[in-house]
Amino acid sequence: MSVKTLVTFFRGKLDDTETIIPALQGLVSLVGTSNITSQEAEEIVRSLFQHVKMKALVQSQRFKVFTIVDILIARQRDALKGMGKAFVADYINLADGEKDPRNLMVAFAIARVLLIEFDVSSHIEDLFNITFCYFPITFRPPPDDPYGITSEDLKKNLRLALTATPAFGPFAIPLFMEKLIAGSPTTKRDTLQTMIEAFPIYGAAVTRTHARKLWNSLKLEIFQPTDSDTENDALKTTQALIQTIYRETDQTQPGPEPISEEIEGLAKEACEECIRILKEPEKSQAKPATKVICAFMSTTPSVSRYTLAQAVPHFVRLFLDPDESSNRAPMSRLLADVVIAARDSTLLDPTVLPVQGEVFMSPYKDKVLGIFTVGLKTENTRKYALEGLKGLVTTRGLLTDEELGFVVHNVNEVLSENGDEDEDVSEAILDLFAAISAITPRHISQTTLPQLFASLPDRAPDRNADVERLRYWRTLAFLRRLCVQSELFEMLVVRLSTKLDLICAFQPTPETTDLEPTAAYAHSVLRTLGDTLAVKVDKGDADVAKYVDRLMPRLFHLHFLGALSSSGEYAVAADARLVTVTAQIVTLVVQVQQAQRQEAFAASLFAAYFDGEVKKIADGQPKLPDDVPFKPFAAESPASNKTLTVLFTAASIALHKEVALPVPDESVFLDTLLRWSIDNSATSSQREAGFHAVASVVNKRPDGLNAFLDEKLPELWTSQAANVSVFAEKRRKVIVGWAQITRALLVRANPLSASFTDRFFELFEDAEISWDAARALGSIVATDKVLTKRNHAVVKMLYAQKFFNSVLPRIVEGAKLSGNASRQNAYLVALTSLIKSMPKSAYTHELPTLMPLLLRGLDLPDADIRANVIDTFLATADTASESKDQGNTVISQHAASLVSTMLKNAMVQEMPSTRLRIAALRYLAILPSLVRYDILHPQKAIVVRELAKVLDDPKKAVRKEAVEARTIWFKFTG
Amino acid sequence: MSSEAFNPNPTVFVPTKSKGSSAFAKRNSIWLNDLEIDSREDEEDDAESGDVEEIDQDEIFDLIRTISDPEHRSMTLEQLAVVSAPQITFHDSAPSGGNSRSSRLTVEFTPTVPHCGMSTFIGLSIRVRLLRSLPNRFKVDIRVKPGSHQSENALNKQLNDKERVAAALENPALLEVLEQCLAGATD
Repeated sequence: MSVKTLVTFFRGKLDDTETIIPALQGLVSLVGTSNITSQEAEEIVRSLFQHVKMKALVQSQRFKVFTIVDILIARQRDALKGMGKAFVADYINLADGEKDPRNLMVAFAIARVLLIEFDVSSHIEDLFNITFCYFPITFRPPPDDPYGITSEDLKKNLRLALTATPAFGPFAIPLFMEKLIAGSPTTKRDTLQTMIEAFPIYGAAVTRTHARKLWNSLKLEIFQPTDSDTENDALKTTQALIQTIYRETDQTQPGPEPISEEIEGLAKEACEECIRILKEPEKSQAKPATKVICAFMSTTPSVSRYTLAQAVPHFVRLFLDPDESSNRAPMSRLLADVVIAARDSTLLDPTVLPVQGEVFMSPYKDKVLGIFTVGLKTENTRKYALEGLKGLVTTRGLLTDEELGFVVHNVNEVLSENGDEDEDVSEAILDLFAAISAITPRHISQTTLPQLFASLPDRAPDRNADVERLRYWRTLAFLRRLCVQSELFEMLVVRLSTKLDLICAFQPTPETTDLEPTAAYAHSVLRTLGDTLAVKVDKGDADVAKYVDRLMPRLFHLHFLGALSSSGEYAVAADARLVTVTAQIVTLVVQVQQAQRQEAFAASLFAAYFDGEVKKIADGQPKLPDDVPFKPFAAESPASNKTLTVLFTAASIALHKEVALPVPDESVFLDTLLRWSIDNSATSSQREAGFHAVASVVNKRPDGLNAFLDEKLPELWTSQAANVSVFAEKRRKVIVGWAQITRALLVRANPLSASFTDRFFELFEDAEISWDAARALGSIVATDKVLTKRNHAVVKMLYAQKFFNSVLPRIVEGAKLSGNASRQNAYLVALTSLIKSMPKSAYTHELPTLMPLLLRGLDLPDADIRANVIDTFLATADTASESKDQGNTVISQHAASLVSTMLKNAMVQEMPSTRLRIAALRYLAILPSLVRYDILHPQKAIVVRELAKVLDDPKKAVRKEAVEARTIWFKFTG
Repeated sequence: MSSEAFNPNPTVFVPTKSKGSSAFAKRNSIWLNDLEIDSREDEEDDAESGDVEEIDQDEIFDLIRTISDPEHRSMTLEQLAVVSAPQITFHDSAPSGGNSRSSRLTVEFTPTVPHCGMSTFIGLSIRVRLLRSLPNRFKVDIRVKPGSHQSENALNKQLNDKERVAAALENPALLEVLEQCLAGATD
């Protein structure tokens, strides 16, 4: 009862401009919260229509009016419907001329309900006018828009209104075409997307009357596209158009299969038009024409059958026409596109496996298969033929197992040819093989792999035999990609390890004394094993573990045999490059073993390396010589034996922390190993590997190492690193080792790391080695492949950031401290080295302080340091260009000096380092995007003039960067 | 620019790909690429060998192949076979051999149709690219392939006239389109 009173009260106040605002507010609350009767609802809207003058109200009040109508429509729809056409007419009057996006959001929603549920038959045109006048939406929300209405929201709601009724069709379609021709790219896309949704609603009849005109406008967007998005939308619109027109005919023919010739109308004409264009497949218009054909594949079954029946025989005819043989490449490409489109047709239900022979492509498969097989034979069509074959193979229910075998057989023939095809073809072959493997691996494992293995020679081709070398590289590259799956990998391991034995058994003859090609070949084979294994480890394959027994003893045997039977001469199997690859394999295999298995392995490993019991880890033919001692860690050991130490260290860095080293005292052992690395290792990689092994134990088991960490190491530092009477070279080695151990402690957040870090700063005073200490300090947090989770190292979160935050202030302060110039420089070196190891997010906010220091670093007489500084600048450039004002003030301030420094470093006369010249040119190239034109333009003439000289640099890579940089500066205008 | 297309449907060619061992190994190396070993070696000799890598035909072709066609912005001059590596002939007297003799370079290009009104523009874009990208010692000659254009002589004269090239570059509208073409194909 009270509701009724209130309704009457508020209605009475609507006609007075003084009271209308609170009255509307009252009504909003009332209709929103109470149960309004149908009669009251009618009365309310009547009063609204009668009294409210929308134009006299501000946005928020108009919003209330729309809200009231909206709520009433939702709650009392039948009552309002009962008001008949008058309601619709009055609402149209009310809503006409609205402009505010907030109100329009509601108005569009109301319009949709009216169009769908109300009798609007006599007001279609008016409703059309009050909705289509907003199309296309060009509204752009102001920055910081508090209401959060985007143009997308508006577009979506408007589109729902525009596509609410078929009755709009006759008015809407001509308007769409008009907007499509005249509009901007955004309008075009909006129009196209609206049409895609509108056609099915508007229905076949009205769409068909405009079909030809529509096709003519769409054609323009497809054949002369403004951009690829618009082109795509135009193709989808064409699909929607065809679907709408032909859906009914398809449905009214429930028979087994409509006869394809019966297609009439637009699809037929458009198809014929495209085929006409495709008579010249080499021309640029052929591509869009094919896209239309491909789009037809996903329209209706009858249209796609018809289109295939036109297109495929056309291509077949053309392909077989001798006059057109020069155009086979573009033809194959287009046909492959059609095959793929037919495969991906949205008409196919992905959950149902099609019956063999009932796929759209089935009638043509023999011919198409034939064409692509012919296409494989010539080089220029090969790539497309492979793509087409992949399309056929991956079409479900198309090819039989026998036909798959036929495809594999034909591709194998390509492989057995000379094999100088380009990368794209190799990729396409691998792609096709992967697709076939997914269906049935049998054909490839039974025919392709044996053929590839057989084509690997037993002896390395000569140094000058480029073609043969390329062939084995290519074969190995194929094997690497094909043999990841566990059974195939086992085959790879067996075949390649046998091959390695054969290759390395090669003895120099009087005619061929050159062993390097043999070593290079063996290296490639090992590399293939290593790379494939790495892929498997990344995938987490469980079968990797078993190769500790299957592969590792053979590889150890290979290298031991080489080293032990060489009697001092060069042996292929003891070549450091080969051993490096095996070391990686060893780490990969050992790291996936359980702790228990590792323990047993470690025992054999130590026995082999320290007691000479090589047979504990090596196994193979011929027998290792018994009479030659194997003591790789002895000072007087021959070079070939010392090389093998990296296999020991490679295994030891991958041990779990529970695995104790099988030695009486780990501290003593580590001290020995460290001193061996410093004094007796033969190469820098052996030395580093030794350091890594020490660091790995320190990281994993520091608790039992007090004697080493608290006594032996400090003693080493005082007697060697800090001792000025020791040779600088030796001191450098100690410093590098020290950095590794410091890292081991730091990574696990061991408190000792602080005092270890301090030692580096002590050396900054010592001009002879201050730079080495500074570099080593920065290298502590550089990325590292040894102390990783995979190698079971103890790694704490954010250790690098913490280190950086604690060390950086100290370095900055030291670099600013006046006085001793050489000490200052050491701090600068430390800064450049440290900052290179850090992600840019760690120091971006410090840049204003760091920039002047880094600029000073650019004056240091060392190419690597300068290049590091420039690399740091380059890394920070991305963030700087994002926040154009903030980060850039620093760069802008220094713009002139940056330009001149970079130019100086880019000149070959001034700077022999290629790396630095390239870095400097890259930075020059991005400067214009970092600094405003008004600040930088005085430099333009100089840069353009000076870079002209760099265009004549002796190195190709430098010239390329110079060209790029100079082009950017030419284009740099206000 | 005229709205009428001179050649609305030109023939498209597949660019030739360089092939060979580059995917597997460094130049002149018999060793397969190996990150671990290479990084170590790079540190040692740092690619600082004094070898001079002369400018060659391929390098010059790389400069102009990516320029896009003014009429078909989604395609490059190479795809339309307007330019090709064999159409570049040159004689380089390297800077070491005394600066007295200048190096000469002739770039020939083939318009897709003989009445192509865009030929001057294509020639101009090639010239500007080379002007910006080659050392000053090169004297560049740009000409259309003999017999491929109806006003061949006028065209060649225009393209090699310094004054007219400079004048053309003063035209901001022209320069804008030129920069777009030099930036490469849109697709």
